[in-house]
Amino acid sequence: MPASFSGRCLVCLLLLLCTSFSGGNPADPAMTTQDANQTQVNSVTKMQPGHDSSGPDAATQELKPASKQNTNISEYEIVLPGVSEKNISLANPTKVELTCKLDENSNLKNPQVTWKKGSETISHTSKTQNSWTIELTISGSRELGSYTCILKAEKEVSATFHLHVPIIDGREKPIISYEGDIAVMVCTTVYNPKAWAWYMTNGTELVSIDKMLPVDKFQIKSPSVSINRLEVVKLTREDCGVYWCEAAFELGPSKSRFELRVLSIAAPLKPFVAVVAEVAILLTTIVLYEVYSKRKAKGDEKQFDQTEKL
Amino acid sequence: MPAPAEAGRAPGPPDGGWGWVVVFGAFISIGFAYAFPKGLAIFFKEIQDFFGASYSEIAWVSSIVLATTYGAGPISSILVNRYGSRPVVMFGGLLCGVGMISAAFCTSILQLYICVGFITGFGLALNLQPSVIIIGKYFLKKRPIANGLAMAGSPVMLCTLAPLNQFLFDNFGWRGSFLILGAILLNCCVAGALFRPIGPGTALVKTQVTEEGKDALKGKITTDGPMENKTEEEGEKDCFEKVNQYLDFSLFRHRGFLIYLIGNVLMFLGFFAPIVFLAPYAKHTGIDDYSAASLLSILAIVDMVARPTTGIVANSRWVRPRIQYFFSFAIAFNGACHLLCPLASSYTGLIVYSSFFGLAFGMVCAMLFETLMDLVGAARFTSAIGLVTIAECCTILLGPPIGGIIVDTFGDYKYMFIKCGAVMVLAGTFLFIMNYYNYRMLAKEEKERKAKEEDPNSLRTENEGKKNWNKDSTQDGPELEPLREKGEGLKKEMNGTNEV
Repeated sequence: MPASFSGRCLVCLLLLLCTSFSGGNPADPAMTTQDANQTQVNSVTKMQPGHDSSGPDAATQELKPASKQNTNISEYEIVLPGVSEKNISLANPTKVELTCKLDENSNLKNPQVTWKKGSETISHTSKTQNSWTIELTISGSRELGSYTCILKAEKEVSATFHLHVPIIDGREKPIISYEGDIAVMVCTTVYNPKAWAWYMTNGTELVSIDKMLPVDKFQIKSPSVSINRLEVVKLTREDCGVYWCEAAFELGPSKSRFELRVLSIAAPLKPFVAVVAEVAILLTTIVLYEVYSKRKAKGDEKQFDQTEKL
Repeated sequence: MPAPAEAGRAPGPPDGGWGWVVVFGAFISIGFAYAFPKGLAIFFKEIQDFFGASYSEIAWVSSIVLATTYGAGPISSILVNRYGSRPVVMFGGLLCGVGMISAAFCTSILQLYICVGFITGFGLALNLQPSVIIIGKYFLKKRPIANGLAMAGSPVMLCTLAPLNQFLFDNFGWRGSFLILGAILLNCCVAGALFRPIGPGTALVKTQVTEEGKDALKGKITTDGPMENKTEEEGEKDCFEKVNQYLDFSLFRHRGFLIYLIGNVLMFLGFFAPIVFLAPYAKHTGIDDYSAASLLSILAIVDMVARPTTGIVANSRWVRPRIQYFFSFAIAFNGACHLLCPLASSYTGLIVYSSFFGLAFGMVCAMLFETLMDLVGAARFTSAIGLVTIAECCTILLGPPIGGIIVDTFGDYKYMFIKCGAVMVLAGTFLFIMNYYNYRMLAKEEKERKAKEEDPNSLRTENEGKKNWNKDSTQDGPELEPLREKGEGLKKEMNGTNEV
């Protein structure tokens, strides 16, 4: 470690340089994603640098709408045959255009096209010879759902657009904390929800957290509009359970689940003591073996010297 | 003269026996030193959430560990020069354990910087250098194999630590995991306990000085024995010489050392960045998370196999005398891989790239310290490695951020790969040319030295001969002689014993 002040300065400078870039850690590619709310994202089937794809199924992509403004129309397209489903997250009322396009190389010629939501048929327009579009005005949660285009000719192909409120990021695996420590649950989203709320599971129903816990037991912090933190302090075994974070968007609420497990301090101590014991045993063995082999060597040498003298 | 019973007392390194146990210990020690900082990345997201810190604040932890591990190199060298490898490694292991155990109880990011960053980083530095140094003391003829095997510890440990860390994290949270990892790091003490000191420091050294002095004249390598003995005899020296005794700054006049230093400092600018950016690049071309992660696994597995294999190849009769060329070739090969990477855009192409990258990475890492030992000799290696690691520290830390800046500026990963490839090809070519020059100068000096030796008038007393051997032969690669002239060397040995 550099002892002088200038040396420390140099290290600090190096560390500053290290951290002045944003995309270096492979564990966190989302950091290079530009804020989708601020830029016009052309939401056609194209992978952008650092774009998160939700889940291992590359066929369904999480797309974000272009802009906050209500007057802009977001366009989404599926090319058939190929990707047959698309998930579209909408936070605010907007107008969308959903298009089903037929690939020129496909065998289907002049198919009969129907657009459906559930059992209801929607009238569509045909902008080009091989594409069929519907225009929707999403103003509330009723208009969200799954919209399917069905192309019927010699055979039938279909594609579905799932319109839903944004999924907020929580934690699938349980959060583990210790008695007396703090547990932190963080909810994030790239959209700006109107409000956040936290709930706990009491039996089968969700109860608001301020009704379940005393005031000094938890704290809700909001570093920004899109991030919300719940901190539960002075943990005890009874705090184990399921917590819910809810973000209220204009188009409806979206929930995320957290599971909290509180362990006692003894839990990690058992493997800790086991490993320390193993280290101690190995060290003793090595030391004893060395002492033994040195003694043996000295004994051999004495024997050798004696035989030499003889 | 009684023939020595134990291998450790024979003139020159034992090249086997307990040496292989030492290699195993070094395997563990080096593995922890390289793999542990990388394995910590799994905990960062959780810690970031817990403390409400930003991503860059957490990234500092990693940077501090890396900076301390490389920056504390000279301190490590000084301690090894003074106390030998074993106590230093055991103390390093203890420090690592203490650092991580105290990190489990941290309540702020700053405390994490100190516990995980500085304390554990310093402990890892005290693990890394002595492990490499002691291999040079135990091996000569089979040293490349020993080095290759020991360096293979890094990918093996990484493959073990990554799932282990994930398991610990899922079951115990980050605090419990740090506690248990602290205990696991104490195993470095066990590895250190295996590093039995060899040769110097025993009472037999004094009686063997005469024998070793003669051997030194005949071209064997110097162990620490004669040098340490000399310092005891000569008593007080002035301050500069005292510092020099602990950290040999005269290395900066050593031609081979300078070549190695410049070449390696250049190389590290482009060495680590591709690994850091491989997964993001894969995701950028449309590959999903799991496949991108498996690319790194392929890299690690090929790396694991490549290191010992390179050691065996480097030890062969054809490569060993010209090992510096092999090293330059490995670096240039690495650079060529990166230059060709932008051509690979499909998943199969990236798998091919990962395999070749793993191979090249393993080749370079396996020979990283072997070539330095080859250039400066085992005696001065202790100081050499300290000076080299602190110089490399800067470029290692700068490499990924510069790559990141390039990626952000151009919005495309290919320029970063081209930059890394170009830098490494340049470094490889530089090393190749300079080592060619170095080999020629060494051959010339060897001829001159032999001519002087043949002359009976210039046969000096043992002490003088030792001094001159240690000081004058700064430009000498003392390793090359006994290997090139194996047959002759054996003859000389027999002659020596006959004379006595």
